[in-house]
Amino acid sequence: MPQVTALFPDSRSPSSTLPAPVVPALSGVRGVPGDLMGPGALPVLPALAGLLPAGLPRGSVIATGAWGLLCLALAAAASGAGAWCAIAGLPALGVAAAAGAGLDPDRLLLVPDPGSSWPHVVATLLDGCDLVVLRPPSRPSAALRRKLESVARRYGGVLVIAGDWDGAHRRLTVTSQEWAGIGSGHGRLRARRAQVAVDGRGAAGRPRARWLWLPGPDGSVAAVASSGIGTFSGPAAGSGPAAGSGWAAGSGWAATSSWDPGEPGEAPPWPGRSAG
Amino acid sequence: MSLAHRTPGRILVICCPDLLAGPAGPEAPPPIAGPALAPEPPPAPGELPAGPVFAQVVAAIEDFSPLVEVIAPGRCAISATAPARYFGGEQALLTKITNAITALGLACQSAIADGLFAAQLAAQAAPPATATQAITSGAAIQAAAPEPGLQAVTPNATAQAVWPEPAAPATSPGTPPPPPPASPVAAAQVVTRRATVRADPRRAASASSRAGARAASASSRAGARAASPEMSPPSPAGVIVPPGGTPAFLATYPVSVLEVPELSSLLPRLGIWTLGDFARLPAAEAASRFGAAGAQAHRLARGLDPRPLIPRPPQAGLSASREFEPPAELSEPVVFAAKSLAEELHTGLAARGLTCVRIRVEVTFADGRENIRLWRHDGLLSGLAVAERVRWQLGTWQTTPPAPSGLPDHSAPHGPAEGGPVVGGIVQLRLVPDQLVRDTGRQLALWGETVISTRVARAATRVQAMLGSSAVTRPLLAGGRDPAEQVTQVPFGAAAAPVLPAGRPWPGHIPPPAPATVYDPPLPAQVTGDAAVPVEVTGRAAISAPPAWLSANGGPWLAVTAWAGPWPVTERWWAAIAARRRARFQLVTEDGTAWLAAVQDGQWTLEACYDLLPA
Repeated sequence: MPQVTALFPDSRSPSSTLPAPVVPALSGVRGVPGDLMGPGALPVLPALAGLLPAGLPRGSVIATGAWGLLCLALAAAASGAGAWCAIAGLPALGVAAAAGAGLDPDRLLLVPDPGSSWPHVVATLLDGCDLVVLRPPSRPSAALRRKLESVARRYGGVLVIAGDWDGAHRRLTVTSQEWAGIGSGHGRLRARRAQVAVDGRGAAGRPRARWLWLPGPDGSVAAVASSGIGTFSGPAAGSGPAAGSGWAAGSGWAATSSWDPGEPGEAPPWPGRSAG
Repeated sequence: MSLAHRTPGRILVICCPDLLAGPAGPEAPPPIAGPALAPEPPPAPGELPAGPVFAQVVAAIEDFSPLVEVIAPGRCAISATAPARYFGGEQALLTKITNAITALGLACQSAIADGLFAAQLAAQAAPPATATQAITSGAAIQAAAPEPGLQAVTPNATAQAVWPEPAAPATSPGTPPPPPPASPVAAAQVVTRRATVRADPRRAASASSRAGARAASASSRAGARAASPEMSPPSPAGVIVPPGGTPAFLATYPVSVLEVPELSSLLPRLGIWTLGDFARLPAAEAASRFGAAGAQAHRLARGLDPRPLIPRPPQAGLSASREFEPPAELSEPVVFAAKSLAEELHTGLAARGLTCVRIRVEVTFADGRENIRLWRHDGLLSGLAVAERVRWQLGTWQTTPPAPSGLPDHSAPHGPAEGGPVVGGIVQLRLVPDQLVRDTGRQLALWGETVISTRVARAATRVQAMLGSSAVTRPLLAGGRDPAEQVTQVPFGAAAAPVLPAGRPWPGHIPPPAPATVYDPPLPAQVTGDAAVPVEVTGRAAISAPPAWLSANGGPWLAVTAWAGPWPVTERWWAAIAARRRARFQLVTEDGTAWLAAVQDGQWTLEACYDLLPA
């Protein structure tokens, strides 16, 4: 019966109306957790792609030196893409800032006070969540660190430490920062331009640094465009938007701490202008 | 007995019209508005403090039956079966309760009927008994006796004859033929029926009640029925709808008493004015035409329970128990056994297509003590989750100092401090399903609902088992002007709404970007000007000096490099407790850190920190 075959095309005779192209199209969409299932790495925000070109490798430990918006920025892309995140040991977390950075509050587990048995709590959270942000209540011993690292490797989770962690795969720090939009008695806090440096173990751990809006005027995290750097005279000047990966690796930018972000008298670049 | 035709038990409803929320509650038709029995209007609402007085009423009723269900302030219900046996009949029970309440100086309407729905309607139709008409049991019966038409003392057969069963008129001998199909107002028929019924008092009640029901408007229908001359004046002690007479009693009520707004407007347009008309529809047709709400309303109209119940108590085969020999001194083996017991219980329920609303966990100790707790189940709990409830019940979740607020903690009399030993030893653990209902499954929303995978749920419940149920939270973005107000922490697995609604303008809120660190409660701080004098803000939002130095929480003094403000915030000036009047500042200190500070009554606090620069 030709009508029936036309209505129900079977798999042996694929018709052009079959929804075959839907699946690859969906898998690239943000929010569909299909792209998290792989064994590789969790995605990072485009602004951080220059610092972490490989994303957050599963099973790795990332240290950020201290608690701050940088921890949330690291988790933002993965959370936005469907991963569950747990944040432990941070009773003063600003959830609005997390949402502004891109985390999905619906997929957030908070353990404000993990107590004295926090390693067990963290191990359990690593079992269930793709990414765990932890501020260790106490300085962990080397054995404990190795144990937690192996837990992260076994479950394929990523442990972001809001503090120091010897032996972390990557270590990101804010080396310099400047608030924009506020003066002496006028204006308000609009954005923070922060220089984030990364170093780490292995071949991929070459020191790099990037200027980020951390946060930008709407709370999100973005790369500072080269035109927004204003008076800075670095290799990035005139080399197009710094949001890409246009920075030459190993170009001497590891010495970030000694780098002067600009003249103090210079008015900070207005975020709205730099964005436009 | 078929499932669908189980009649509900006898329910006694007591209604204190003085204490009801309004003269005529929105959910109830007006009690009695007929001219003959028009009651005095209730005393002004301000006269009686309703809450404490009604507590006395409930206490008085508790002398008769300990299981009082308060339906609404001013109205409560008990099961009448057992108390009626004890106090010598339903009429005697009604009289005693009415006397007990009128002794408090309150008017009282009471009624006994099959099921809560009919009993509530009957109580509203009952005349209020007041303290002045002291009722003796004999008087009540005598008052009812001369007019056997409506009142309770009639045995079952008579009552059925008085109120013909609309659904099966031919089966009961001596019943008048069913009235003609409903025409909205059949005045002529009413008149003829009135003329004929005088001769036959048995027909009188039914005919006049139907006539009254059809003729009167929806709001005064009950009153017209009660006020028609053929009706016997109800006894002062209340109304008793005899067993099995509920369908006939309900038949004359307008469909609006079902309180289903769609049906209230739809059914009259279809020519169905009364519950009796509605009940005559085939049940299957009502369900297919009007949906689940219609099916439930149809059951109510037929005098049945709104939902089919399981006609037998939970059988022993459905519960699951495990005995421990020797007694379990630790909670772990008990919790472990609870998991397998719960799986066994769920398997047994699923095999019968049932699920339970609640699950009762009974723990028996070696010294004879029992610890029984009901946990809400709703068919959603896994075996592991039930085991967690058992663990909580045993008190081992009390391993952390913060008391879990989401759990009732008063019923753990033997909570061990550090998760293990149970005082006394447990000899038996029994899980009993409570309130069996049909398992209709659960449909997840297609969009808009975050699906919590079992992996995440397992991890969260394990952490909850370690730290307490409120230790793992999911944040909910809320409204509010302060960063601390803008999030509501909900314990994992619980459902809650934001304290302050999101999506409103909230004028005066802190504009983005939001601070990453929010201090709740705020940190104390000191802010001084260049002259080391604390900065003050006047009522007109003028500052005494520009902020120059900041000491956070007793820390070192930091120079303020940039600042903005003051931004006065006056919140909730109409509420004495919640009122706040503050001035907020944003400060940037020399280390690059930005703060959100506020000064209230001369005290500086730090509400949030935008980002700390690592040392």
